[in-house]
Amino acid sequence: MRLLRQVWLLTACALRAVNERRGSALVTVVSVTTVVGVLVSLLAIREGTAIFSAQSAPPDLMVIMGRGAKVPFTSFLSRETVQVVGQAPGVRKEPDGTPDLYATILVPVDVIRADGRRGTVFLVGYSPGAQLVEAPVRLIGGRWYRAGFHELMVPAPVRQMYRGMDVGDQILLRGAAWNIVGVFASRNSLSDSFLRADADSVMSAFGINHFQQINLRLESPSAAGEFARALAANPSIAVDVKSRRELNEETFGPTNRLLYYIAYSIGGVMACGAIFGALNALYASIDARRRELATLRAIGFNSASIILSVLAESVVLALPGAVLGSLLAWWLFSGDVVSSNGQIFHLTVTQHLVVIGVLWTLAIGLIGGTLPALRAARLPVATALQES
Amino acid sequence: MKYLPLVWAGIAHKRSRAVLLLLQIVSAFVLFGTLQGLSSGIKQVIAHAHVDRLYVGNRVAAANMLPLSLLQSIASMKGVAYITPEADLEGTYQKTDQSVPVVGTNVDAFLHIFDEIHASPGAAEALRSHRAGGIAGSALLRQYGWKIGDRIVLQTPMPKTDGTRDWAFDLLGSYDVPDAPEDADSIITNFSYLNESRLADRDRVNRFVVKADAPANAGSVSLAIDTAFANSDHETRTQSDADRLATQIQQTVDLDFIVRGIVGAIFFALLLATGALIMQSVRERGPEFAVLKTFGFSDRFVLLLVLAESLVLCLSAAAIGLALAYLILPQVRPALTELNVAHLPTVVLLFGLALAALLALLSSCAPALQAARHPIVHALAKR
Repeated sequence: MRLLRQVWLLTACALRAVNERRGSALVTVVSVTTVVGVLVSLLAIREGTAIFSAQSAPPDLMVIMGRGAKVPFTSFLSRETVQVVGQAPGVRKEPDGTPDLYATILVPVDVIRADGRRGTVFLVGYSPGAQLVEAPVRLIGGRWYRAGFHELMVPAPVRQMYRGMDVGDQILLRGAAWNIVGVFASRNSLSDSFLRADADSVMSAFGINHFQQINLRLESPSAAGEFARALAANPSIAVDVKSRRELNEETFGPTNRLLYYIAYSIGGVMACGAIFGALNALYASIDARRRELATLRAIGFNSASIILSVLAESVVLALPGAVLGSLLAWWLFSGDVVSSNGQIFHLTVTQHLVVIGVLWTLAIGLIGGTLPALRAARLPVATALQES
Repeated sequence: MKYLPLVWAGIAHKRSRAVLLLLQIVSAFVLFGTLQGLSSGIKQVIAHAHVDRLYVGNRVAAANMLPLSLLQSIASMKGVAYITPEADLEGTYQKTDQSVPVVGTNVDAFLHIFDEIHASPGAAEALRSHRAGGIAGSALLRQYGWKIGDRIVLQTPMPKTDGTRDWAFDLLGSYDVPDAPEDADSIITNFSYLNESRLADRDRVNRFVVKADAPANAGSVSLAIDTAFANSDHETRTQSDADRLATQIQQTVDLDFIVRGIVGAIFFALLLATGALIMQSVRERGPEFAVLKTFGFSDRFVLLLVLAESLVLCLSAAAIGLALAYLILPQVRPALTELNVAHLPTVVLLFGLALAALLALLSSCAPALQAARHPIVHALAKR
């Protein structure tokens, strides 16, 4: 109890004197702010790409592309192939016998970004049945497109990020005007990046007569092996079968891991710098208070309480940096960004990231405070008091 | 030079403090060197990419090939120096995981366009006169122990007119890519061989590759090609090598923005930290400077002394940091980019040292002025 009171008194005393050492206190705050700001910002990007991680995909979702195709763009699936795949064993079916399956075709659309630069978004033509497979999308304005018409729907982030993308606007595709009839929001998934329309309308407008990708649900995740073998054994089709998880892992896994690696290695080096800075600032603070500390020792404050009070001072000086850094990251790195290949990420500074920031701050404060605290405790009382 | 001991004494005034500051600056420059080195290195690769090499593909879906008949109309366009059709064949050799890409081309134009590919002497002539021939990359020859003159059979998903999916190639020569030896991993064959022997996709190409007669004309050639086929049933998208690299790199986020942001934040923090420490050190050493002035050294000399101390400290720390970055960069590069960013570009080294000098001057100008202006009597009175 007495120790706690001593620590409290000493810390309060040291912090009251911070005003005299504004410079070094400011240095600590700023350096911790930059570390936390950079770390949390980089992790916010990682958080944005997490929707593409393997874990985010349901285990019974399968994706089929033409054999050898690595991206939908190069995939070729005939209408017959879609039929054959729907009849394969293991595909979940509705009571009326329709398989839980849909096929898509993806075409690029030239658009103008809100800042006036040129960009590309993709228009996905969906065959009927998408709502049997995917989580439902929410209509937030207008209505759904009708099959057979030049009508399309726009995801909410795209409406914000590009010009002329509101309900009632028209887009020119292959010389024909398409009406934007609705705006939708899906639950933070890949389809937030794509315009939606009816597959047959898109194919006839672009002179294509093939699909690129089939998405379907299995009766259970364990049916995957039988399903894949059945398709491989069928000589009339040439397709590659993957689960959505495998596909996400292949496409985004390396990027996701890389972002972690980058965030923590940059954060780590910066934190080292901040620790050196904090050490210096606290050594300076203790040098400036040599007489004061020696006096305190002389009148009976013990070294444990002095050590703890220096550590407490260090942490208290570092904590505002955690808050400022997180705020800065939130200000700079929240909202939607678009990557050069047209995918939209929703960057978020989550509570989880703020906690990581605070933990790093505590670590910086404690490591940076230990050596100066020991020096303060070992201060030879007599010599320190003799100094003028 | 003779005042060097004096500068050194100033730095060593509080040795632990100087060492910590040094380490802080070193860590900042390690990050600066690595990040800036990477971003500048990537920019250099893009800058060296062949801007005059244009890839003409189907705009709507790459799986939709382009008709071979476009060849004549593109070749007759102003500014087109060379053009070759390309047909891709994904073959495997003996085992399904030993993939061997095959590209069907017009070999003469191909070798003119891809001038970094060096074919063995006589290989191009031999291929021209032998339809089912192939020029194999030297990496392939090494991997599978093939020799010139061998007949290689590849299994492919593409059926031939004779009903099989096995394609045979007579190896007539080899090629090397001296700048990137591991890239020599394909078989180059005649477009006519693939085209006439395959069952489907007759007279269709995966892409055309065009070389513009001058890099300055590449933009107009690319635009002319796309405009010529706009709104036809085979719209094209023409991209230069540099375009393709740029889209490959800016995958998720704008690298430049992040690097600039991080470097800016680090140096702002560093500037404050260095400034505060030098200020404190100068304040503590007020009497020392007073003594120097009493001995007859001028105010300007004291000013320069403080500036020199901080310059020596910052520049040596920056040099250590950049040297570390130079060592680190080749280690982290493969994880970050597939591009061949070899070393820390010299311009980044020079920029780093300039930044260190700027850091030193900015952080020490106020303390230096204070030390120079502080009256001797006041400084000594504290004693």
